Amino acid sequence: MNKLTVLLFWAMFSFCLKAQITLGSTVDTFGVLAGSTVTNSGPTVVLGNVGVSPGTAITGFAAIAPGGPGVATGVIHSADAFAGTAQTQLTAAYNAAAGLATTSTVAGDLGGLTFAPGVYTSTSTLGLTGTVTLNAGGNPNAQFIFQIASALTTAVGSTVVLTNGAQASNVYWQVGSSATLGTSSFFSGNILAFSSISLGTNATLQGRALARNGAVTLLSNTINTPAGQSGPPPPLVTPAPSSLILVSTALVGIFIYQGRKKILKPFRTC
Amino acid sequence: MFEQWRTDEDMSHGFLVPIVILWIVWRERERFRTLPTQPTWWGLALLASAAGLQFVAALGVGLFAGSLAFLVSIAGAVLCLGGFAWLRAAAFPLALALFMLPKLAIVYNQTTLPLQLLASRIAAGILTGAGIGVIREGNILDVGGHRVAVVEACNGIRYLLSLGFIAVVLGYLADSKTWMRLALLVAAIPVAILANGLRVAAAGWLPSLEAGTPHLIAGWFIFVACMATLILVRQLFNKAYVHYRS
Repeated sequence: MNKLTVLLFWAMFSFCLKAQITLGSTVDTFGVLAGSTVTNSGPTVVLGNVGVSPGTAITGFAAIAPGGPGVATGVIHSADAFAGTAQTQLTAAYNAAAGLATTSTVAGDLGGLTFAPGVYTSTSTLGLTGTVTLNAGGNPNAQFIFQIASALTTAVGSTVVLTNGAQASNVYWQVGSSATLGTSSFFSGNILAFSSISLGTNATLQGRALARNGAVTLLSNTINTPAGQSGPPPPLVTPAPSSLILVSTALVGIFIYQGRKKILKPFRTC
Repeated sequence: MFEQWRTDEDMSHGFLVPIVILWIVWRERERFRTLPTQPTWWGLALLASAAGLQFVAALGVGLFAGSLAFLVSIAGAVLCLGGFAWLRAAAFPLALALFMLPKLAIVYNQTTLPLQLLASRIAAGILTGAGIGVIREGNILDVGGHRVAVVEACNGIRYLLSLGFIAVVLGYLADSKTWMRLALLVAAIPVAILANGLRVAAAGWLPSLEAGTPHLIAGWFIFVACMATLILVRQLFNKAYVHYRS
Protein backbone atom coordinates (compact mmCIF):
# COMPACT_ATOMS: atom_id res chain seq x y z
CA MET A 1 0.00 0.00 0.00
CA ASN A 2 2.83 2.33 0.96
CA LYS A 3 4.60 1.56 -2.31
CA LEU A 4 1.44 2.37 -4.23
CA THR A 5 1.11 5.70 -2.41
CA VAL A 6 4.74 6.58 -3.19
CA LEU A 7 4.21 5.62 -6.83
CA LEU A 8 1.08 7.80 -7.11
CA PHE A 9 2.84 10.68 -5.40
CA TRP A 10 5.83 10.37 -7.78
CA ALA A 11 3.53 10.26 -10.81
CA MET A 12 1.77 13.46 -9.67
CA PHE A 13 5.09 15.12 -8.90
CA SER A 14 6.44 14.23 -12.36
CA PHE A 15 3.25 15.52 -13.97
CA CYS A 16 3.64 18.81 -12.13
CA LEU A 17 7.25 19.12 -13.23
CA LYS A 18 6.35 18.53 -16.86
CA ALA A 19 3.25 20.76 -16.77
CA GLN A 20 2.84 22.59 -20.05
CA ILE A 21 0.62 25.59 -20.68
CA THR A 22 -0.97 26.06 -24.06
CA LEU A 23 -2.97 28.99 -25.33
CA GLY A 24 -5.98 28.06 -27.41
CA SER A 25 -5.85 28.08 -31.19
CA THR A 26 -7.96 31.27 -31.33
CA VAL A 27 -6.20 33.37 -28.71
CA ASP A 28 -2.91 32.25 -30.28
CA THR A 29 -3.62 34.50 -33.27
CA PHE A 30 -3.92 37.69 -31.19
CA GLY A 31 -1.07 40.06 -30.51
CA VAL A 32 -3.37 42.25 -28.44
CA LEU A 33 -6.58 41.21 -26.68
CA ALA A 34 -8.40 43.28 -24.08
CA GLY A 35 -11.53 42.94 -21.94
CA SER A 36 -12.69 46.55 -22.05
CA THR A 37 -10.76 48.73 -24.56
CA VAL A 38 -7.69 48.82 -26.80
CA THR A 39 -6.25 52.32 -27.10
CA ASN A 40 -3.30 53.21 -29.29
CA SER A 41 -1.31 56.40 -29.88
CA GLY A 42 1.59 56.63 -32.34
CA PRO A 43 2.87 54.31 -35.08
CA THR A 44 2.31 51.00 -33.31
CA VAL A 45 2.79 47.83 -35.31
CA VAL A 46 1.05 44.63 -34.19
CA LEU A 47 2.04 41.51 -36.07
CA GLY A 48 -1.15 39.54 -35.42
CA ASN A 49 -4.83 40.13 -34.60
CA VAL A 50 -6.11 42.87 -32.32
CA GLY A 51 -9.31 42.29 -30.40
CA VAL A 52 -11.57 43.23 -27.54
CA SER A 53 -14.37 41.37 -25.75
CA PRO A 54 -16.77 41.92 -24.01
CA GLY A 55 -15.88 45.61 -24.47
CA THR A 56 -16.16 47.14 -27.92
CA ALA A 57 -13.78 50.10 -28.23
CA ILE A 58 -10.61 49.84 -30.30
CA THR A 59 -9.06 53.19 -31.18
CA GLY A 60 -5.88 54.39 -32.89
CA PHE A 61 -5.62 51.76 -35.64
CA ALA A 62 -5.80 52.45 -39.37
CA ALA A 63 -8.12 49.54 -40.07
CA ILE A 64 -10.96 50.66 -37.79
CA ALA A 65 -12.94 53.91 -37.65
CA PRO A 66 -12.03 56.66 -36.92
CA GLY A 67 -8.60 55.45 -38.01
CA GLY A 68 -5.19 56.10 -36.54
CA PRO A 69 -1.48 55.59 -36.95
CA GLY A 70 -1.44 52.00 -35.65
CA VAL A 71 -1.13 49.03 -37.98
CA ALA A 72 -2.18 45.43 -37.36
CA THR A 73 -1.12 42.80 -39.86
CA GLY A 74 -4.00 40.60 -38.75
CA VAL A 75 -7.71 41.29 -38.33
CA ILE A 76 -9.38 43.69 -35.89
CA HIS A 77 -12.03 41.86 -33.83
CA SER A 78 -14.34 44.10 -31.84
CA ALA A 79 -16.69 42.14 -29.56
CA ASP A 80 -17.32 39.48 -32.17
CA ALA A 81 -17.60 35.74 -31.62
CA PHE A 82 -13.93 35.20 -32.48
CA ALA A 83 -12.80 37.64 -29.80
CA GLY A 84 -15.28 36.04 -27.35
CA THR A 85 -13.77 32.60 -27.98
CA ALA A 86 -10.29 34.06 -27.52
CA GLN A 87 -11.31 35.52 -24.14
CA THR A 88 -12.68 32.15 -23.04
CA GLN A 89 -9.41 30.47 -24.02
CA LEU A 90 -7.46 33.23 -22.28
CA THR A 91 -9.36 32.63 -19.03
CA ALA A 92 -8.63 28.89 -19.28
CA ALA A 93 -4.90 29.52 -19.91
CA TYR A 94 -4.76 32.10 -17.09
CA ASN A 95 -6.33 29.67 -14.61
CA ALA A 96 -4.08 26.83 -15.78
CA ALA A 97 -0.96 29.00 -15.33
CA ALA A 98 -2.14 30.18 -11.91
CA GLY A 99 -2.79 26.62 -10.79
CA LEU A 100 0.64 25.15 -11.55
CA ALA A 101 2.85 23.92 -8.74
CA THR A 102 5.70 26.28 -8.09
CA THR A 103 9.35 25.49 -8.72
CA SER A 104 10.68 28.43 -6.77
CA THR A 105 9.60 31.76 -5.32
CA VAL A 106 10.76 35.15 -6.58
CA ALA A 107 10.39 38.60 -5.10
CA GLY A 108 11.24 42.22 -5.72
CA ASP A 109 13.17 42.75 -8.92
CA LEU A 110 14.22 40.21 -11.54
CA GLY A 111 17.03 42.41 -12.94
CA GLY A 112 20.37 40.62 -13.32
CA LEU A 113 18.90 37.17 -12.67
CA THR A 114 18.96 34.11 -14.92
CA PHE A 115 16.16 31.54 -14.82
CA ALA A 116 16.02 27.92 -15.93
CA PRO A 117 12.69 26.54 -17.20
CA GLY A 118 10.12 26.26 -14.42
CA VAL A 119 7.25 27.84 -12.54
CA TYR A 120 8.20 30.90 -10.48
CA THR A 121 5.85 32.45 -7.97
CA SER A 122 5.75 35.96 -6.57
CA THR A 123 3.37 36.57 -3.69
CA SER A 124 3.33 40.31 -4.27
CA THR A 125 4.31 42.75 -7.03
CA LEU A 126 7.25 41.97 -9.30
CA GLY A 127 9.57 44.39 -11.08
CA LEU A 128 12.28 44.28 -13.73
CA THR A 129 15.14 46.75 -13.94
CA GLY A 130 17.98 45.99 -16.37
CA THR A 131 18.10 42.52 -17.89
CA VAL A 132 16.60 39.18 -16.93
CA THR A 133 17.77 36.09 -18.81
CA LEU A 134 15.64 33.01 -19.50
CA ASN A 135 17.90 30.09 -20.37
CA ALA A 136 16.17 27.10 -21.97
CA GLY A 137 19.31 24.93 -21.83
CA GLY A 138 18.94 23.94 -25.47
CA ASN A 139 15.33 22.76 -25.18
CA PRO A 140 13.09 24.86 -27.50
CA ASN A 141 9.97 23.46 -25.79
CA ALA A 142 11.04 24.57 -22.32
CA GLN A 143 8.47 26.75 -20.59
CA PHE A 144 8.95 29.61 -18.17
CA ILE A 145 5.88 30.51 -16.14
CA PHE A 146 5.83 33.47 -13.77
CA GLN A 147 2.87 33.58 -11.37
CA ILE A 148 2.59 37.12 -10.03
CA ALA A 149 -0.02 37.74 -7.35
CA SER A 150 -0.17 41.46 -7.99
CA ALA A 151 1.32 43.91 -10.54
CA LEU A 152 4.21 43.45 -12.98
CA THR A 153 6.21 46.61 -13.73
CA THR A 154 9.32 46.93 -15.91
CA ALA A 155 11.70 49.90 -15.84
CA VAL A 156 12.79 52.11 -18.72
CA GLY A 157 15.02 50.19 -21.15
CA SER A 158 14.68 46.87 -19.33
CA THR A 159 15.11 43.69 -21.36
CA VAL A 160 14.03 40.05 -21.22
CA VAL A 161 16.75 38.00 -22.94
CA LEU A 162 15.93 34.53 -24.27
CA THR A 163 18.92 32.22 -24.60
CA ASN A 164 19.77 28.64 -25.50
CA GLY A 165 16.63 28.01 -27.52
CA ALA A 166 14.11 29.76 -25.27
CA GLN A 167 11.01 30.80 -27.25
CA ALA A 168 8.84 33.82 -26.52
CA SER A 169 5.78 31.64 -27.18
CA ASN A 170 6.81 29.45 -24.22
CA VAL A 171 7.09 32.26 -21.69
CA TYR A 172 4.00 33.13 -19.64
CA TRP A 173 3.55 36.03 -17.26
CA GLN A 174 0.36 35.38 -15.27
CA VAL A 175 -0.31 38.74 -13.64
CA GLY A 176 -2.84 38.99 -10.80
CA SER A 177 -3.64 42.64 -11.46
CA SER A 178 -2.02 44.84 -14.15
CA ALA A 179 1.19 44.84 -16.17
CA THR A 180 3.13 47.98 -17.14
CA LEU A 181 6.10 47.88 -19.52
CA GLY A 182 8.53 50.79 -19.24
CA THR A 183 9.54 53.17 -22.02
CA SER A 184 11.84 51.55 -24.61
CA SER A 185 11.81 48.24 -22.78
CA PHE A 186 12.11 44.96 -24.67
CA PHE A 187 9.84 42.31 -23.23
CA SER A 188 9.38 38.69 -24.23
CA GLY A 189 6.51 36.34 -23.51
CA ASN A 190 2.75 36.12 -23.24
CA ILE A 191 1.34 38.54 -20.68
CA LEU A 192 -1.88 37.10 -19.24
CA ALA A 193 -3.19 39.91 -17.05
CA PHE A 194 -6.29 39.80 -14.89
CA SER A 195 -6.86 43.55 -15.33
CA SER A 196 -5.03 45.84 -17.75
CA ILE A 197 -1.75 46.08 -19.68
CA SER A 198 0.09 49.33 -20.55
CA LEU A 199 3.09 49.56 -22.84
CA GLY A 200 5.35 52.60 -22.47
CA THR A 201 6.52 54.66 -25.44
CA ASN A 202 8.56 52.61 -27.93
CA ALA A 203 8.39 49.46 -25.80
CA THR A 204 8.71 46.26 -27.83
CA LEU A 205 6.84 43.09 -26.95
CA GLN A 206 7.97 39.81 -28.45
CA GLY A 207 4.82 37.95 -27.46
CA ARG A 208 1.20 38.83 -26.67
CA ALA A 209 -0.59 41.39 -24.52
CA LEU A 210 -3.71 39.59 -23.29
CA ALA A 211 -5.91 41.31 -20.71
CA ARG A 212 -8.93 39.48 -19.32
CA ASN A 213 -11.02 42.34 -17.92
CA GLY A 214 -9.28 45.68 -18.41
CA ALA A 215 -7.73 47.78 -21.15
CA VAL A 216 -4.62 47.43 -23.28
CA THR A 217 -2.90 50.78 -23.85
CA LEU A 218 -0.26 51.16 -26.57
CA LEU A 219 2.18 54.02 -27.30
CA SER A 220 4.27 53.62 -30.48
CA ASN A 221 5.01 49.97 -29.81
CA THR A 222 6.00 46.90 -31.76
CA ILE A 223 4.21 43.69 -30.85
CA ASN A 224 5.63 40.70 -32.63
CA THR A 225 3.29 37.78 -32.07
CA PRO A 226 5.12 34.44 -32.10
CA ALA A 227 3.52 31.34 -33.56
CA GLY A 228 1.92 29.36 -30.75
CA GLN A 229 1.87 25.65 -30.21
CA SER A 230 -1.45 25.37 -31.99
CA GLY A 231 -0.99 28.40 -34.24
CA PRO A 232 0.40 28.63 -37.73
CA PRO A 233 3.94 27.37 -38.33
CA PRO A 234 6.66 29.98 -37.86
CA PRO A 235 7.64 31.87 -41.02
CA LEU A 236 10.79 30.97 -42.89
CA VAL A 237 13.87 32.61 -41.46
CA THR A 238 15.14 34.98 -44.13
CA PRO A 239 18.29 36.56 -42.78
CA ALA A 240 20.81 38.59 -44.74
CA PRO A 241 24.25 36.94 -44.92
CA SER A 242 26.00 37.02 -41.55
CA SER A 243 28.28 39.98 -40.91
CA LEU A 244 31.22 37.53 -40.87
CA ILE A 245 30.57 36.67 -44.53
CA LEU A 246 29.94 40.33 -45.46
CA VAL A 247 33.07 41.67 -43.77
CA SER A 248 35.27 38.79 -45.03
CA THR A 249 34.13 39.51 -48.59
CA ALA A 250 34.69 43.23 -48.15
CA LEU A 251 38.20 42.75 -46.67
CA VAL A 252 39.17 40.61 -49.65
CA GLY A 253 37.73 43.35 -51.90
CA ILE A 254 39.75 46.04 -50.11
CA PHE A 255 43.00 44.09 -50.46
CA ILE A 256 42.34 43.52 -54.16
CA TYR A 257 41.56 47.23 -54.55
CA GLN A 258 44.72 48.22 -52.70
CA GLY A 259 46.90 45.79 -54.66
CA ARG A 260 45.26 46.44 -58.03
CA LYS A 261 48.42 48.00 -59.52
CA LYS A 262 50.50 44.93 -58.64
CA ILE A 263 47.78 42.58 -59.84
CA LEU A 264 47.35 44.38 -63.17
CA LYS A 265 51.09 44.94 -63.77
CA PRO A 266 51.76 41.66 -65.69
CA PHE A 267 48.82 42.37 -68.00
CA ARG A 268 50.07 45.91 -68.73
CA THR A 269 53.62 44.78 -69.63
CA CYS A 270 52.17 42.36 -72.17
CA MET B 1 31.79 38.70 -26.38
CA PHE B 2 32.89 35.44 -27.98
CA GLU B 3 29.46 33.92 -27.26
CA GLN B 4 27.73 36.91 -28.88
CA TRP B 5 29.96 36.71 -31.98
CA ARG B 6 29.08 33.02 -32.20
CA THR B 7 25.33 33.35 -31.73
CA ASP B 8 24.41 36.78 -33.14
CA GLU B 9 24.83 37.01 -36.92
CA ASP B 10 24.82 40.83 -36.68
CA MET B 11 27.99 40.56 -34.60
CA SER B 12 29.81 37.58 -36.13
CA HIS B 13 32.30 39.97 -37.77
CA GLY B 14 33.67 40.31 -34.22
CA PHE B 15 35.89 37.29 -34.97
CA LEU B 16 37.66 39.31 -37.69
CA VAL B 17 38.13 42.52 -35.70
CA PRO B 18 40.99 41.27 -33.45
CA ILE B 19 42.72 39.80 -36.51
CA VAL B 20 42.53 43.13 -38.36
CA ILE B 21 43.74 44.99 -35.23
CA LEU B 22 46.73 42.64 -34.85
CA TRP B 23 47.53 43.08 -38.54
CA ILE B 24 47.43 46.88 -38.19
CA VAL B 25 49.71 46.76 -35.12
CA TRP B 26 52.13 44.52 -37.05
CA ARG B 27 51.98 46.91 -40.02
CA GLU B 28 52.83 49.81 -37.72
CA ARG B 29 55.54 47.93 -35.84
CA GLU B 30 58.35 50.26 -37.01
CA ARG B 31 56.42 53.25 -35.68
CA PHE B 32 55.89 51.53 -32.32
CA ARG B 33 59.62 50.71 -32.10
CA THR B 34 60.58 54.38 -32.35
CA LEU B 35 58.12 55.55 -29.70
CA PRO B 36 59.55 56.81 -26.39
CA THR B 37 58.57 54.69 -23.40
CA GLN B 38 57.40 56.95 -20.58
CA PRO B 39 55.20 54.98 -18.14
CA THR B 40 52.68 57.10 -16.24
CA TRP B 41 50.55 56.55 -13.16
CA TRP B 42 47.55 57.87 -15.08
CA GLY B 43 47.33 54.35 -16.49
CA LEU B 44 46.41 53.08 -13.03
CA ALA B 45 43.51 55.57 -12.93
CA LEU B 46 42.23 54.14 -16.21
CA LEU B 47 42.68 50.59 -14.91
CA ALA B 48 40.77 51.50 -11.73
CA SER B 49 37.91 53.03 -13.72
CA ALA B 50 37.83 49.90 -15.92
CA ALA B 51 37.61 47.77 -12.79
CA GLY B 52 34.75 49.97 -11.53
CA LEU B 53 32.94 49.64 -14.84
CA GLN B 54 33.43 45.86 -14.78
CA PHE B 55 32.05 45.76 -11.23
CA VAL B 56 28.95 47.73 -12.25
CA ALA B 57 28.56 45.45 -15.31
CA ALA B 58 28.74 42.37 -13.06
CA LEU B 59 25.94 43.84 -10.93
CA GLY B 60 23.65 43.57 -13.93
CA VAL B 61 24.18 46.66 -16.09
CA GLY B 62 25.03 44.43 -19.00
CA LEU B 63 27.47 42.83 -21.37
CA PHE B 64 28.28 46.07 -23.21
CA ALA B 65 29.60 47.77 -20.07
CA GLY B 66 31.72 44.70 -19.23
CA SER B 67 33.18 44.59 -22.73
CA LEU B 68 33.86 48.34 -22.69
CA ALA B 69 35.66 47.85 -19.37
CA PHE B 70 37.89 45.31 -21.13
CA LEU B 71 38.90 47.91 -23.75
CA VAL B 72 39.43 50.63 -21.12
CA SER B 73 41.65 48.25 -19.16
CA ILE B 74 43.78 47.61 -22.30
CA ALA B 75 44.10 51.39 -22.77
CA GLY B 76 45.08 51.67 -19.08
CA ALA B 77 47.72 48.97 -19.44
CA VAL B 78 49.19 50.68 -22.54
CA LEU B 79 49.31 54.00 -20.68
CA CYS B 80 50.81 52.39 -17.58
CA LEU B 81 53.59 50.60 -19.46
CA GLY B 82 54.25 52.86 -22.45
CA GLY B 83 52.90 56.31 -21.72
CA PHE B 84 50.82 58.80 -23.68
CA ALA B 85 52.79 58.44 -26.94
CA TRP B 86 51.98 54.72 -26.98
CA LEU B 87 48.33 55.36 -26.17
CA ARG B 88 48.09 57.88 -29.04
CA ALA B 89 49.64 55.35 -31.41
CA ALA B 90 47.26 52.64 -30.20
CA ALA B 91 44.20 54.91 -30.38
CA PHE B 92 43.16 53.78 -33.86
CA PRO B 93 43.35 50.01 -33.18
CA LEU B 94 41.50 50.59 -29.89
CA ALA B 95 38.81 52.62 -31.65
CA LEU B 96 38.49 49.84 -34.21
CA ALA B 97 37.89 47.43 -31.34
CA LEU B 98 34.59 49.25 -30.63
CA PHE B 99 33.17 47.33 -33.59
CA MET B 100 33.58 44.04 -31.75
CA LEU B 101 31.68 45.15 -28.65
CA PRO B 102 28.19 43.71 -28.15
CA LYS B 103 25.31 45.87 -29.32
CA LEU B 104 24.19 48.35 -26.68
CA ALA B 105 20.70 46.99 -25.92
CA ILE B 106 19.03 50.34 -25.18
CA VAL B 107 20.34 51.89 -28.42
CA TYR B 108 19.51 48.77 -30.42
CA ASN B 109 15.95 48.62 -29.05
CA GLN B 110 15.46 52.35 -29.71
CA THR B 111 16.74 52.24 -33.30
CA THR B 112 15.25 48.94 -34.46
CA LEU B 113 11.70 50.12 -35.15
CA PRO B 114 12.68 53.45 -36.80
CA LEU B 115 15.14 51.56 -39.02
CA GLN B 116 12.48 48.97 -39.91
CA LEU B 117 10.07 51.77 -40.89
CA LEU B 118 12.80 53.63 -42.79
CA ALA B 119 13.70 50.48 -44.76
CA SER B 120 9.99 49.99 -45.53
CA ARG B 121 9.64 53.60 -46.74
CA ILE B 122 12.79 53.40 -48.90
CA ALA B 123 11.72 50.06 -50.39
CA ALA B 124 8.25 51.44 -51.16
CA GLY B 125 9.87 54.51 -52.76
CA ILE B 126 12.18 52.37 -54.91
CA LEU B 127 9.30 50.14 -56.05
CA THR B 128 7.07 53.15 -56.79
CA GLY B 129 9.93 54.82 -58.68
CA ALA B 130 10.35 51.66 -60.74
CA GLY B 131 6.68 51.76 -61.68
CA ILE B 132 5.69 48.83 -59.48
CA GLY B 133 2.50 49.31 -57.48
CA VAL B 134 3.02 49.00 -53.75
CA ILE B 135 0.93 49.77 -50.68
CA ARG B 136 2.83 50.36 -47.44
CA GLU B 137 1.19 49.93 -44.03
CA GLY B 138 3.81 50.61 -41.40
CA ASN B 139 6.45 47.95 -41.88
CA ILE B 140 4.30 45.87 -44.24
CA LEU B 141 4.63 46.15 -48.01
CA ASP B 142 1.89 44.84 -50.25
CA VAL B 143 3.21 44.36 -53.80
CA GLY B 144 0.32 43.17 -55.91
CA GLY B 145 -1.02 40.92 -53.15
CA HIS B 146 2.43 39.66 -52.17
CA ARG B 147 2.93 40.90 -48.60
CA VAL B 148 6.39 41.45 -47.18
CA ALA B 149 6.91 42.18 -43.50
CA VAL B 150 10.08 44.14 -42.75
CA VAL B 151 10.76 42.40 -39.45
CA GLU B 152 13.40 43.16 -36.85
CA ALA B 153 16.05 41.06 -38.62
CA CYS B 154 15.64 43.27 -41.73
CA ASN B 155 16.35 46.55 -39.92
CA GLY B 156 19.74 47.00 -41.62
CA ILE B 157 21.87 47.01 -38.46
CA ARG B 158 23.97 44.21 -39.97
CA TYR B 159 24.78 46.28 -43.07
CA LEU B 160 25.42 49.37 -40.93
CA LEU B 161 27.89 47.65 -38.59
CA SER B 162 29.66 45.72 -41.35
CA LEU B 163 29.95 48.65 -43.76
CA GLY B 164 30.95 51.03 -40.95
CA PHE B 165 33.82 48.73 -39.99
CA ILE B 166 34.87 48.34 -43.62
CA ALA B 167 34.73 52.11 -44.18
CA VAL B 168 37.12 52.64 -41.27
CA VAL B 169 39.54 49.96 -42.55
CA LEU B 170 39.34 51.33 -46.11
CA GLY B 171 39.96 54.85 -44.82
CA TYR B 172 42.99 53.65 -42.87
CA LEU B 173 44.51 51.77 -45.82
CA ALA B 174 43.67 54.10 -48.67
CA ASP B 175 44.03 57.54 -47.14
CA SER B 176 46.12 59.30 -44.56
CA LYS B 177 43.77 62.28 -44.33
CA THR B 178 41.67 62.26 -41.16
CA TRP B 179 38.77 64.10 -42.80
CA MET B 180 38.62 61.47 -45.55
CA ARG B 181 38.50 58.65 -43.00
CA LEU B 182 35.64 60.39 -41.17
CA ALA B 183 33.88 61.20 -44.44
CA LEU B 184 34.00 57.54 -45.48
CA LEU B 185 32.53 56.46 -42.13
CA VAL B 186 29.73 59.04 -42.43
CA ALA B 187 29.09 58.06 -46.07
CA ALA B 188 28.75 54.41 -45.05
CA ILE B 189 25.59 55.21 -43.06
CA PRO B 190 23.31 56.38 -45.92
CA VAL B 191 24.86 53.80 -48.27
CA ALA B 192 24.03 50.96 -45.84
CA ILE B 193 20.50 52.25 -45.19
CA LEU B 194 19.75 52.68 -48.90
CA ALA B 195 21.22 49.26 -49.68
CA ASN B 196 19.00 47.65 -47.08
CA GLY B 197 15.97 49.38 -48.57
CA LEU B 198 17.01 48.06 -51.98
CA ARG B 199 17.31 44.55 -50.54
CA VAL B 200 13.78 44.76 -49.12
CA ALA B 201 12.48 46.17 -52.41
CA ALA B 202 14.06 43.25 -54.27
CA ALA B 203 12.36 40.79 -51.92
CA GLY B 204 9.05 42.58 -52.46
CA TRP B 205 9.37 42.68 -56.23
CA LEU B 206 10.58 39.10 -56.71
CA PRO B 207 8.97 36.67 -54.23
CA SER B 208 11.68 34.10 -55.09
CA LEU B 209 14.22 36.43 -53.42
CA GLU B 210 12.25 36.55 -50.18
CA ALA B 211 13.73 33.46 -48.55
CA GLY B 212 16.46 30.88 -48.58
CA THR B 213 19.62 30.85 -50.69
CA PRO B 214 18.47 33.40 -53.34
CA HIS B 215 17.74 35.84 -50.48
CA LEU B 216 21.25 35.33 -49.07
CA ILE B 217 22.91 35.67 -52.47
CA ALA B 218 20.95 38.87 -53.22
CA GLY B 219 21.99 40.26 -49.85
CA TRP B 220 25.63 39.41 -50.57
CA PHE B 221 25.60 41.03 -54.03
CA ILE B 222 24.00 44.18 -52.67
CA PHE B 223 26.72 44.40 -50.02
CA VAL B 224 29.41 44.03 -52.69
CA ALA B 225 27.69 46.92 -54.52
CA CYS B 226 27.86 48.90 -51.24
CA MET B 227 31.61 48.32 -51.14
CA ALA B 228 31.97 49.50 -54.74
CA THR B 229 29.89 52.58 -53.90
CA LEU B 230 32.15 53.35 -50.94
CA ILE B 231 35.26 53.13 -53.15
CA LEU B 232 33.54 55.37 -55.70
CA VAL B 233 32.66 57.87 -52.98
CA ARG B 234 36.32 57.94 -51.92
CA GLN B 235 37.45 58.63 -55.48
CA LEU B 236 34.85 61.37 -55.88
CA PHE B 237 35.96 63.00 -52.60
CA ASN B 238 39.59 62.77 -53.73
CA LYS B 239 38.84 64.36 -57.10
CA ALA B 240 36.88 67.16 -55.42
CA TYR B 241 39.76 67.69 -52.98
CA VAL B 242 42.38 67.81 -55.77
CA HIS B 243 40.16 70.20 -57.76
CA TYR B 244 39.73 72.40 -54.68
CA ARG B 245 43.49 72.45 -53.97
CA SER B 246 44.35 73.35 -57.55
